[in-house]
Amino acid sequence: MLIKLSGGKVYDPVHQVDGKVMDIYIRDGRIVSRPRDDETIDQTYNLNGKVVMAGAIDMHTHIGGGKVNIARMMLPEDHRADPSQHSALCRSGCGHAAPSTFTTGYRYAEMGYTAAFEPALSPVNARQSHLEMGDTPIIDKGGYAMIGSDDYFLRMLAAKKDQNAINDYVAWIMHASQAIGIKVVNPGGINAFKFNQRALDLDEQNSHYQVTPREVLKALSRAVHELRVPHPLHVHGNNLGVPGNMETTLKTMGASEGYPLHLTHIQFHSYGTEGDRKFSSGAAQIAEAINKNKHISADVGQILFNQTVTASGDNMRQFANSTLGSPRKSVIMDIECDSGCGVVPFKYKDQNFVNALQWAIGLEIFLLTDDPWRIFLTTDHPNGAPFTSYPHLIKLLMDKTFRNDMFTTLNLDAQAMSTLTSIDREYSLYDIAIMTRAGAAKLVGLHDRGHLGDGAGADITVYTDNPDREKMFEKPDYVFKDGQLVVKDGQVVKVTWGHTHTVKPEFDRGIEKDIKKYFDTYHTMSMENFKVSSDEIAEGGRGGIVVQACEGRREKSL
Amino acid sequence: MSALTFTLKKDLIQKLDVSPLTPDLLADKTHAEIASTLLWYGKKQIAAGEAFAITGIDTNKIVFDQSTSKIDHIGTGLKTGKITVNGHAGAFLAFNMSNGNITVNGNVADFAASGMAGGLLQINGNVGDYLGAAIIGDRKGMKGGIVIVKGNAGERTGDQMRRGIILIEGNVGTYCASRMLAGTIGVLGNVGEYVGYGMRRGTLILTKTPKLHATIQDCGTHTLPFLSLMFKSFSDLPSKFAQMNQNRAQRFAGDISNDGKGEILVLR
Repeated sequence: MLIKLSGGKVYDPVHQVDGKVMDIYIRDGRIVSRPRDDETIDQTYNLNGKVVMAGAIDMHTHIGGGKVNIARMMLPEDHRADPSQHSALCRSGCGHAAPSTFTTGYRYAEMGYTAAFEPALSPVNARQSHLEMGDTPIIDKGGYAMIGSDDYFLRMLAAKKDQNAINDYVAWIMHASQAIGIKVVNPGGINAFKFNQRALDLDEQNSHYQVTPREVLKALSRAVHELRVPHPLHVHGNNLGVPGNMETTLKTMGASEGYPLHLTHIQFHSYGTEGDRKFSSGAAQIAEAINKNKHISADVGQILFNQTVTASGDNMRQFANSTLGSPRKSVIMDIECDSGCGVVPFKYKDQNFVNALQWAIGLEIFLLTDDPWRIFLTTDHPNGAPFTSYPHLIKLLMDKTFRNDMFTTLNLDAQAMSTLTSIDREYSLYDIAIMTRAGAAKLVGLHDRGHLGDGAGADITVYTDNPDREKMFEKPDYVFKDGQLVVKDGQVVKVTWGHTHTVKPEFDRGIEKDIKKYFDTYHTMSMENFKVSSDEIAEGGRGGIVVQACEGRREKSL
Repeated sequence: MSALTFTLKKDLIQKLDVSPLTPDLLADKTHAEIASTLLWYGKKQIAAGEAFAITGIDTNKIVFDQSTSKIDHIGTGLKTGKITVNGHAGAFLAFNMSNGNITVNGNVADFAASGMAGGLLQINGNVGDYLGAAIIGDRKGMKGGIVIVKGNAGERTGDQMRRGIILIEGNVGTYCASRMLAGTIGVLGNVGEYVGYGMRRGTLILTKTPKLHATIQDCGTHTLPFLSLMFKSFSDLPSKFAQMNQNRAQRFAGDISNDGKGEILVLR
């Protein structure tokens, strides 16, 4: 089966193609270079004047795992208010902030996304997360295993085990939980919370283990680097949402001593303490630091105004924020003594000083960070806003007039505290293609996705060029997933099942002896049951495991 | 002008959600527009004209004829006007209703008057469980308005109720006024076990002494002038409570395991 996409304007930053009119050929789910003249083309799509990009990749979105399910259970009103209908192709579903699994897959695909990565895959909960992602159709998925507050790791750190042992444990966790990256949430803080610490700064000791978040970050970032895992350590820093946390974030950038770090939802970590209300934007300093430190990348975690729900592994900060919930309910819980979770519904309001300033801070970071290869478009779904608001966010980035018009409707005190209107930058389609495709694929380590070169998986999105970028990006003309047409005119026309992307770094299996002893002594399940096998994921025919090559992409700097 | 009448013509297999069919949502709509209003039917949507024969023009007075317990969400969010139901009504009747008037000439299923904040709901038959209670996920039940029940009510009547008045002429099941936050419930018939379980505040008016659990405490018999005022305020209501006028009652306080500011008044 040979398909030709004819005459589209192609944006493929990996190959420096910026709006060039060219043809793309797909054979058996893969993009191929121009075939011989005598080959017959089975199907041709005339894309004259259309914009062609690789399928978009969301590198940080909470779409599976315990906390999302808790959010679903806790917010029946969210589900009641937003039902979606059963059709001949699609299952019925519901939910705006925390949609059901099937609906999540359809909505992503209908927006031109072909991959999404769950950033807080608790290893003890990995099976549940993979089962949920297994029920998410069309898109590819994967997860970052969340460690750093688990007792086994903290014991190793406290006992000053050598780095090779830590590397082996990290690799073992990635195998056991079928992950593609490693995430650390409030390094050591989730554990410190259980010892009654209610805040933990970068150089503050966990009162039980006497280890600091800095040591956790250093050990893990080095482990990820030395294992040649492409995705740098994914860091949700300390002091999320605390005014003045900008200082912590700047220090965190230096904590890895040059090993690559990805600072996630950095908007929530970029606050100063200036002004009458002791809450101000630290975007300029943060963006400057990202520009300067080449080993740092970040995604923004933009907030947008509406009802949503915040779901995080950071039980320490979620506990502190639980009184701000709207509607006022929350779940703060421990997960098998190994991890934590906090779910608090939240409504961001444009007339609220703090929320309005958060909105501006996020956009300031987007616009002041120079290198689109190191900053990523996220709302930290659903924490800042549901992923369905991405087209709106793209419009804010690409259209200065629209952005400034929105800004004038915000809380006046917040307007006075922000310099957003003085920034003239507008993102180009090429920049958007970097941020949401090429850069994201490179960051996550998807070697055959995010570009349109020979051999890439044929995940392709075709848009109609429209000056209203929100309209353009919310309804693609065509979406191809592995060469199959899955969405036409913003509607699902075929339901397929995506892959689960993983990496399998090499390690010394001898470590299992000690891990098994630990499981036998302390855990509720045996070590063998803890491990999620590749066969389990492939069972039922809903997509299997793809093992991406373990080749580091970003080098150590400093 | 004749009332806008929806006569059920479809044999319903799934639940039909008629929440879009209220006076304020249908005002100024043409007959064709009303017939094409989409209603959730199980996991699919169907046009109102497919389920109902639609006659009449006055959108301020809506009538459901041949109604069955499969029809949910009658009068959801009602702000104005009058809805009459001839036959039975399904779950979530008068959900989040803020004003207006609903009369049901038949029986009603669960979660009636949940989230109701104002207006009058009159049920001439029996009503199921969770009358005036919070639906799953909500933290407060009925928040205002008046509910009159001619028949019996099921279990958990007034669970997490926050404000408003429920007057029941028949019997009530177990856990009446459980977790009640505030408001008034009157019952002329019998109430089941565990009345006022976890009751925080609020008033329950009974005519017969119920079986009480340990954390409801007897406070003796009192003459309470507010009772006369309250019964006087009921005098215009289409209920047996309109003829009552008593101000002497035995007072029980509870649930003392949850603040204990609630009261159960048994009229003497």
